[in-house]
Amino acid sequence: MSQALVAGVVVGGIYGLMALGIVLVYKGARVLHFGQGEIGTLALFVAWWVVDERQGLGQPWLLGAAAAVVAAAAVSLVFERLVVARMVEASRLAIGVATVGLLLFLFSLELKLWGASPKYLAPPIEGLGPRVAGLHVSPTQVLALVSAAAIGLGLTAFLRRTDFGLGVLGAAQDPAAARLVGVPLARVSVFTWVVAGVLAAVAALLVEPTIGVFTAGFMTRFFVFALAAALIGGLTSLPGAFAGGIVVGILDQTVQYWSLGVPVPGLSVLAVFALILLVLLVRPQGLLGRAAA
Amino acid sequence: MSSPIVSIKGLRAGFGPTTVLHGVDLAVGPAEVAVLLGLNGAGKSVTLRVAAGLIPAWAGTVRLGGEDVTTLPAEARVGRGMAHVTQGRHVFPGLTVEENLRLGAYTLRRRDRSRYAAVLDSVLDRFPRLADRRRQLAGTMSGGEQAMLAVGRALMANPRVILVDEPSAGLAPAAADALVETLRGVHRSGVAMLLVEQNVTFALDLADTVHVMRQGTVVHSAPRQRVDQDRLTAELGIGRLLKGGTR
Repeated sequence: MSQALVAGVVVGGIYGLMALGIVLVYKGARVLHFGQGEIGTLALFVAWWVVDERQGLGQPWLLGAAAAVVAAAAVSLVFERLVVARMVEASRLAIGVATVGLLLFLFSLELKLWGASPKYLAPPIEGLGPRVAGLHVSPTQVLALVSAAAIGLGLTAFLRRTDFGLGVLGAAQDPAAARLVGVPLARVSVFTWVVAGVLAAVAALLVEPTIGVFTAGFMTRFFVFALAAALIGGLTSLPGAFAGGIVVGILDQTVQYWSLGVPVPGLSVLAVFALILLVLLVRPQGLLGRAAA
Repeated sequence: MSSPIVSIKGLRAGFGPTTVLHGVDLAVGPAEVAVLLGLNGAGKSVTLRVAAGLIPAWAGTVRLGGEDVTTLPAEARVGRGMAHVTQGRHVFPGLTVEENLRLGAYTLRRRDRSRYAAVLDSVLDRFPRLADRRRQLAGTMSGGEQAMLAVGRALMANPRVILVDEPSAGLAPAAADALVETLRGVHRSGVAMLLVEQNVTFALDLADTVHVMRQGTVVHSAPRQRVDQDRLTAELGIGRLLKGGTR
């Protein structure tokens, strides 16, 4: 049981990292960004291409990671400028649908460029890592957990303590009023989408070593759990997203542990959806969300 | 009159196929309160929104301190000294009072961060109730308090002129009276004002100059003391409101 808890916290950290991006876009644009997971997958493919010695350029992992982050930022920037910026008058739902279009486009692009065979990207730090409650926690998993917490806290501080960050929050609540105090909405929008893309890339780079291999669509299945984390955390709360990720991770791993041998597949997913339903019924603003935000 | 702070000439604007403004001409002098009166649909609020840059002008010019700002975005006009208190207040409900005020100083802090503390102090001195509620979420305050916050937030940009749209709408009489006093204080501090208001008594209480609009044009302009009473009565469908030249 304690092993399930440890595994849950580790997996939850990764869900939390992705959930931060979901919350950031939702705070900044009031849109659910369904393409975020696939931006992460595309970034992984770029990193793999830079790092792989046989089919790629054979460069160090750090260079591959940097290329992945740049690629994710570039895709997000192009999507924001070509699609989101031209949908200023459109409903938020329409922009949400456009992000589904981005997901499908990137999925197809990955298949076209790199095929359907699984790819392997080495972890940033090799080794077994510390043993906690009888379970080896890999250095990459520790890094993922620490990164998620640090990025969550850092983003929260940035949004609350800097003028531009406060402008991002203000623009999410009332774009016209934000313009009337001088907040540059175009820059706010670019910031929001690009940072969300970068977060997806970082999450992808940190989660892949735990799974081992990846294919097109790899990060989109994590997106469902990350969305659950964001909803449970409150959709507008960055610390809430991280906490939600931990809750979802622990629930996921615990139910998997208890349902070993039970001939019903997908019980952990069912448990996560039940938790979302419960939170939405009992506390619609989420664990740490603010009703007025 | 000395050079106007805001000068609007031949302004035309609208929505889709509908023309709302058919060539608006008006000017606001330094430290002057100009009031726009007119029936619903006359184009008063649209004039303010075009002047602020929220709605594009189809033709005509908007000048701010002599500079043509007609094609500048709203956020750039704030930096040049034009603030706007919109209808419905539009405070940021999920931010605290202090965060709202800090956002109001967005352009000021970029221009000269060192002046922020002094401007904040002066706004909090003017609005003691806001000072008491610095940490309170704006969305949880009463309508009157939100109106105060909206005006205070506009002042944080240290503007030369404030466009104020229907400030008394939805306020209880006591809150509206308090708001008149607040706006009068703002006026006394030397900030010019272009005010749109349905409550004619409220508006005339503050006005230096009165502009009357009908169907997208200004049909009558005069200093408050020399407003054509019969014209005002006919345009607004009301009885006599002006009781001499003093306030």
